[in-house]
Amino acid sequence: MERKFIPGLSMGFVVALWLMTGLILGGCATMGPAKPKDVVPTDRGTVIFLEKYEFKRPPAGWAMLKNLEGGDFEFGFLKMEKGDFPSQTTFIFDDQPFGSSRDLDTRAKQYCTRFLFNTGMYPEIKKQEKAEVMGLPALALYVEGENPNRVEKAKSKIYLVKKGDRIISFVCTQWRPLKGTYDQDGFDRFEELVKSFKFLKKTFYENFEEELKKMGI
Amino acid sequence: MDGHQRDLYLYERLNARVLGVSMDDVITNKYFAQTFWLEFPIISNTLSWMGKSYGAYSDKPPFAPDGSPIMFGRLTVVIDKKGIVRYVKTGSPNNQEILQFLLKLEKEFRGK
Repeated sequence: MERKFIPGLSMGFVVALWLMTGLILGGCATMGPAKPKDVVPTDRGTVIFLEKYEFKRPPAGWAMLKNLEGGDFEFGFLKMEKGDFPSQTTFIFDDQPFGSSRDLDTRAKQYCTRFLFNTGMYPEIKKQEKAEVMGLPALALYVEGENPNRVEKAKSKIYLVKKGDRIISFVCTQWRPLKGTYDQDGFDRFEELVKSFKFLKKTFYENFEEELKKMGI
Repeated sequence: MDGHQRDLYLYERLNARVLGVSMDDVITNKYFAQTFWLEFPIISNTLSWMGKSYGAYSDKPPFAPDGSPIMFGRLTVVIDKKGIVRYVKTGSPNNQEILQFLLKLEKEFRGK
């Protein structure tokens, strides 16, 4: 008799445990609205990042670099490439690039004294030309540098873009061993991203400027 | 410092002035300012009384992880027109927060 009773109790206990687990998990599910995803694909072949920016994401193989808590850049992409270290290409979108001038030419000079400073490459501007990004005035910089001691070199394309009173930047840097060859594909992907880039919201500084104007400041 | 220099035109519109304070000597500060194209003054306070007055200095626990005194840390202080300290924050300055705080002070001032 006892043998029949004990399995019944166990079964009841299991059912109770299952019900409790269900209730606990159900409670978790109703704790608040689901956090929106950082990256949302659109039917236009682009992605929306943090509901702030829309752009064409590079294909598979490019890892996204997200900076969700403030820092040196807003977001970027990285692709590890064939060949010896440091064969890789990075894209960065930075809304507060090095320097402080609001004039594009002056900012370019300021920017290049700090860009890749920690690598010891002393990058040199090979070419600088006027450009347009998102219909806004911009400067395109073609920069190259090398560090013979670390047997590394880098080539960059930089857009400094004048957006209102501020300057923002898009940077593509390709890293190679000193005897390595650069690859145009990474730069082409970068151009696609820049051409497709859109702001979906006003920036903090644009909103702040509007508030100051409303107050007559 | 870059961030303050970038926002200097907004600080000026809000009737705020930026003053850097450092324990470094004048020549070091001069080269530092040149390197970063800073247009606001930096005070060389080698005797550190300013840092001590505003709470940027600490030779008491809690110490740094290696057990050494923290000494001077980065500190942002906003002082209003009456000389009252209205905002104090340690660590890297949050420029957007500072701008919003200055706007709040300006609204307060205009409301009076």
